[in-house]
Amino acid sequence: MNKLVIIGCDRSAGEALRSLQETGYCLPEGVIYQPLPCGGSLDVLHVLRALESGAERVLVLSCYADACRSFNGNTWAEKRTAAAQALLTEAGLGQERITYRQVSPNMSADLGAWIHTLINLEPVEAQDRA
Amino acid sequence: MIIAERKPIQEITASLVPYKNVLMVGCNTCVAVCLAGGAKEVSVLSAVLRLALRENQPELTIAERCVERQCEAEMNAELATEIGSYDAVLSTACGVGVQTLAEQFPETVVLPALNTKFMGRPEELGVWSERCAGCGNCVLDRFGGICPVTRCSKNLLNGPCGGSANGRCEVDPVNIPCAWQLIYDRLARLGQLERLTAIEPAKDWSTSRHGGPRRVIRKDVKL
Ligand code: SF4
Ligand code: SF4
Repeated sequence: MNKLVIIGCDRSAGEALRSLQETGYCLPEGVIYQPLPCGGSLDVLHVLRALESGAERVLVLSCYADACRSFNGNTWAEKRTAAAQALLTEAGLGQERITYRQVSPNMSADLGAWIHTLINLEPVEAQDRA
Repeated sequence: MIIAERKPIQEITASLVPYKNVLMVGCNTCVAVCLAGGAKEVSVLSAVLRLALRENQPELTIAERCVERQCEAEMNAELATEIGSYDAVLSTACGVGVQTLAEQFPETVVLPALNTKFMGRPEELGVWSERCAGCGNCVLDRFGGICPVTRCSKNLLNGPCGGSANGRCEVDPVNIPCAWQLIYDRLARLGQLERLTAIEPAKDWSTSRHGGPRRVIRKDVKL
């Protein structure tokens, strides 16, 4: 089972991850990175399919506003992430399974910290029961 | 086109409780354009339902199909060989599509996943609005192409009412333009303002829903 699926714009999230890997970092077991050509190509279905296939959490990453090469890819990524969160909430599953962050290529340390935090959170089911 | 909206997920999951093996069938025409029930929405909704019911109905399977126009029996024919193997069909077409499937496959339970709202058009990205109430006797020729039956909140044929202010309708000034302001502006632009001096007679509603379910018959194309 993948604990965490990272779906990110390859120009920002992908660059940050590659920089991190150049320092010797390896993605922890159960974490996979799914690159997108742009945050604007994120689809609600990408997020849902990741959860359906067993991911505990999904982290969506896009560029900062005004840094998107396609102008507003980050806006669409944020909107579609919010739509996926709204669907989960409506279905009674809790939106905390899905996290959205803006990232720039030089934020490799932040990315490593986010991954560490997300994979060390309690499983969502356990949180639901608490 | 027909504009529809997905039902609340809780309502859909409640309707699926008795079933184990469900076929979800979308429609790739009107409801695909209003992003409520095309192939994409079938995939999204079935994924959410599988996630939502994973714990309470783990044995539930949901298969996905999408036909071109669910209101035409010919287009649903491709479902004939398999539809009998499902406990129920969850349709993301409008009410017409749902009823077509139910009529065509009388042994099959067909459930609606959408609420059918109105006949309208895409106004801007993510916004659809009503344009026609299907009154059966179109009066657009007299009103500059703007329908007072549908777009005036009070269906006034001799408007405006006293609640029109600053071009907005008193029922919801933020979202509803006054249809009579629109009619006036349009007729002014067309140089046809004199049309508004004529009193529009009371409408014969027998051509609308008031005359019972309606049919259109074309003898020239009927065998
Ligand atoms: S079933 Fe027919 S009328 Fe209904 S949404 Fe599909 S194409 Fe439109
Ligand atoms: S007058 Fe009747 S047919 Fe014409 S647009 Fe209005 S509701 Fe539809």
